[in-house]
Amino acid sequence: MPSDDLADEASPLNDKQNGGDDLSDPATAEARLQEEARRLRKKPISVGTRGVRDVTEDFVAASEQLQPGELVKDEYFTLFEAVGALEIMDPKMDSGRIPPGDSFEPDFDVCAGLNARQVLWIMDELFRLEMSFQDGYPLSQNIFTSLHVFRLLAPENRHPYHLRFNGPSAKDETTVELQLVHFVLSAYCIAVVKCVQCTLSSIQTYTYYEEEDFVTYLFGRELLPKLSAVDATRLLIDAADWLETSGLDEPVRDAIRLRLLAREELLTSMDSTDEGIDEWDKFRAKIRDIRQQHELATPVPDAFSDKVQRQLATSTPPRPMPQLSWDQACDKWLHLCDDILATRALTSFRIRQSPHCLQRATWAFAYRQPPPSTYARAKMQETLTAGDCVAGEVSHFDLMLTDIRDLVLAGDPLADPASFQVEVPSDPRHRASRLIEDFMSRMFGEYLNLYRMVCQNRCRMRRTFTQTLPIFDELETVAHEVDEQLNEIVVPRLVQDMSGNWHKHCPLSTWLRLHKLQIMIWTIQLGFETDLYLPDELREIFTVLEHLTRTRLSCLIQMELFVVKKLQLPEAGKLSRDDKEQCRSSSEWIKSLSLQEQVNVTLSSLLSSFCTTLEDLALIDARSKPYSQSQLRYEARYKPFLGLQWDSVPALEDLERQGRAEAITLSEIQQICTSYAEAIKTTRGMLGELKNMNPTQAKYVGTEEEWKKGIKSLETTCVAISVAASQLQRICEKHKDKLDRLGEVAEVSFPVPEKRYHVWWVVPQLKEK
Amino acid sequence: MSETHQHDATTTKRPAGNLRYVCYGNDKESPYLPAIKQLISKDLSEPYSIYVYRYFLYQWSDLCFMTLDEQDNLIGVIVCKLEPHRGGPMRGYIAMLATQQEYRGQGIATKLVRMAVDAMIAKDADEIALETEIDNIPSLRIYERLGFIRTKRLHRYYLNGNTAYRLILYLKPGIPYKPTYPPDYPHMEGDDAQNPAQGLLGEDLIQRQAAQLQIEEVHGQRHDLLQASG
Ligand SMILES: CC(C)(COP(=O)(O)OP(=O)(O)OC[C@H]1O[C@@H](n2cnc3c(N)ncnc32)[C@H](O)[C@@H]1OP(=O)(O)O)[C@@H](O)C(=O)NCCC(=O)NCCS
Repeated sequence: MPSDDLADEASPLNDKQNGGDDLSDPATAEARLQEEARRLRKKPISVGTRGVRDVTEDFVAASEQLQPGELVKDEYFTLFEAVGALEIMDPKMDSGRIPPGDSFEPDFDVCAGLNARQVLWIMDELFRLEMSFQDGYPLSQNIFTSLHVFRLLAPENRHPYHLRFNGPSAKDETTVELQLVHFVLSAYCIAVVKCVQCTLSSIQTYTYYEEEDFVTYLFGRELLPKLSAVDATRLLIDAADWLETSGLDEPVRDAIRLRLLAREELLTSMDSTDEGIDEWDKFRAKIRDIRQQHELATPVPDAFSDKVQRQLATSTPPRPMPQLSWDQACDKWLHLCDDILATRALTSFRIRQSPHCLQRATWAFAYRQPPPSTYARAKMQETLTAGDCVAGEVSHFDLMLTDIRDLVLAGDPLADPASFQVEVPSDPRHRASRLIEDFMSRMFGEYLNLYRMVCQNRCRMRRTFTQTLPIFDELETVAHEVDEQLNEIVVPRLVQDMSGNWHKHCPLSTWLRLHKLQIMIWTIQLGFETDLYLPDELREIFTVLEHLTRTRLSCLIQMELFVVKKLQLPEAGKLSRDDKEQCRSSSEWIKSLSLQEQVNVTLSSLLSSFCTTLEDLALIDARSKPYSQSQLRYEARYKPFLGLQWDSVPALEDLERQGRAEAITLSEIQQICTSYAEAIKTTRGMLGELKNMNPTQAKYVGTEEEWKKGIKSLETTCVAISVAASQLQRICEKHKDKLDRLGEVAEVSFPVPEKRYHVWWVVPQLKEK
Repeated sequence: MSETHQHDATTTKRPAGNLRYVCYGNDKESPYLPAIKQLISKDLSEPYSIYVYRYFLYQWSDLCFMTLDEQDNLIGVIVCKLEPHRGGPMRGYIAMLATQQEYRGQGIATKLVRMAVDAMIAKDADEIALETEIDNIPSLRIYERLGFIRTKRLHRYYLNGNTAYRLILYLKPGIPYKPTYPPDYPHMEGDDAQNPAQGLLGEDLIQRQAAQLQIEEVHGQRHDLLQASG
């Protein structure tokens, strides 16, 4: 077969002698290419007539002029293009290849009539495949494989998009079977296409990552551009009405009708950004019946075909795609509805009034199990940000101002929205609020990213955090300047800490730094969650984490000092009741933040110490590696933090281990392990205190369950550390003569994220061999 | 590169006696190319066209090393490249690595990696990067034992939907401070570009580029989340 020759030609196995022109002369080559390009342009391949020309001989002739292995490329030819090349006629790469004996187009007449059970099956198959699209797989491998959908999307089809191009209206079809196809199934297919369009438009409006989150590619097709979602819902309703009079058997008629109505609700919901009119809960309620009625359906597998891929504008071969069962697809639909409903619940009125409650709720959304799909995450971003408001109500300005006020300016006229209304230029409130406003407008993007980044997939979440750090760092410089200017307008507040040092109140830079340190901490913690750290890095990473959490803790302690002081000063008498209440609630909140940070400090310090001991006992292999140089490894590991001017990670010298003069002794180990007991007791005490704080105090309104679960998993982490420490002590006591080679009798393992009590805390586990 | 999971199914072990390690060398179309392609693609879930192999071997034949037995059968291979990364550091990149099933677990791949790393060091590389699937234990072992660290997890990095780690080894100090520029093209190991799909040409390419640009600011690797919500 000539085509086989062609495939061989591209293969190095072919030892054919090269003949013809000397291609080392670039002028000849270029001229030839130009000539070829010109010839190609003259004969455009029209889609309508699908002109086909056998280029085998030309191709063979052209390629014979090349040395095998010769790479003809210009400087813009990158690996990307190289990977893009495919071998024609290789069944794995060439999706347009037609195997011998096969036909080019599928053998199925989409205009032919079908009985009701068959139509039901096709509708369900679309419902199933749509989930694979929602899961991020290309349309060419799911919805577009429906020959009915494919026909509707044919480039030559025109509004009103009938299956029979320019055919009569569906009502005029002569039999019930024909009407079922041209009226009912066609309406359903059109609505599915519109749902696809709504999904894509939501996802593409917000942040997502092409390929890894979603494939938005349309393969050169348009999604019925002249027909709106509203038009499609009308078609569904018409079809449902027709069914009533169709005389079809009741169970199957009802099943089809339910699907039409469910689709209508789905499309309406997807098409609207107004939660008032969407119908996710109604749609969700129908899924159970849809699932059960499926047994009424009669399969028509021929109504779907991968052959459509041959006609799609792409050279991407199909990629491996998990096959969803009907039940799995129904479950996923239920999850999708739940996730979307959760975007509502988690931004409810009570929650969105408090930036911190909203932060927690956003994290709660991101950590739902199973993880919310890309579409649901887009919907969450929409709820958080559309119209510069949260849930169309709380303006981003108010959200951010409340955040600042709650943390650093409680009961202070500087953060009173009324101050922003003062227009007398000489009024200090006017001058101060202009400064704050200016700062806020520079800060907005990064501030909102604190919510948006959480809506990204977990790997990206960590990476966007690392990318935001340099920007926070720059803004911190701005914040310091603004603080100074503010302190010239209003008399700066001063407090004395316990060591007798005086501190000037610098609200904006403090506020910003607190958030920035949080991002630094999250970056490390998400590093744990994405399992980036090797055992021999743990001691150091925990030390870094301890450093960062300690820094943030001292920041919090100072903040608390200011707000508590405000209530104790003689002027406190002049504060309004609201202002006093603000101060009280702010101090309670800062208290809860301090407690949480203190827990982090203790846990990281305990684990860093424990890993040190494991290194001392050579249970963690900390010997240097052939190509590893400590300075370079340090730079690679802490790249996101290096180059920040305001806060960073400790210097390498401070992280490196001091070599031990003598080997570790049993009594040392006993001492260390006993000391943990005390620290763990204190930590559990703090967790207990946190448990006793109510949702308003610790700002976890609306995420009460998650709060409880979070504390519980930290408690279990404490227990796991105790267990590991006593296990170590026991093993050492039993084998006290082998402390220099404990590896012979004991081994340590590090649970993968899914096996940890808390994904952010890896507790080494010990066991005897 | 992405591979199917066969690394556990070690069949009868063959002893690694009398093996030679050689550089692919300047031969543009060496007799080993078909064997290389075959060895690599055996474990790949996605096929790579011959052009991918040529792309590397034509330009960086000195960074490809092979393990041969006495009959010159190909037992193991490593394929790499070395070029500036986004106008910044000179980045070595390990693209492919494989050992014949029956010869695995005897340090062959480790030796090949060491040869490639040494060659890249000799050619003044600043850093070496690669990606490997998160559950490819043998591969992670090899690199991590030599001193590579995991710097990123790449969600659904491969076309088969599998997630990867980016592994990095710095060879010179000061790399984090070197400026880099966004790529003109989505780049295979570009941080924010995906592993390229098979057969992306013309329209697809532009489409994907556009999709990437939407979230990529002109400077740095920053995603402008604010703008995307416009
Ligand atoms: C990865 C691969 C190249 C390793 O080749 P190799 O010659 O066996 O490698 P080495 O012998 O140098 O080292 C392999 C290490 O992994 C370990 N290993 C091998 N199989 C393992 C398994 N199933 N579980 C745990 N460890 C395993 C080996 O024991 C050895 O570590 P050790 O020296 O500590 O024992 C080979 O498995 C392969 O060809 N895989 C398919 C292609 C691939 O995955 N390429 C890498 C991605 S780019």
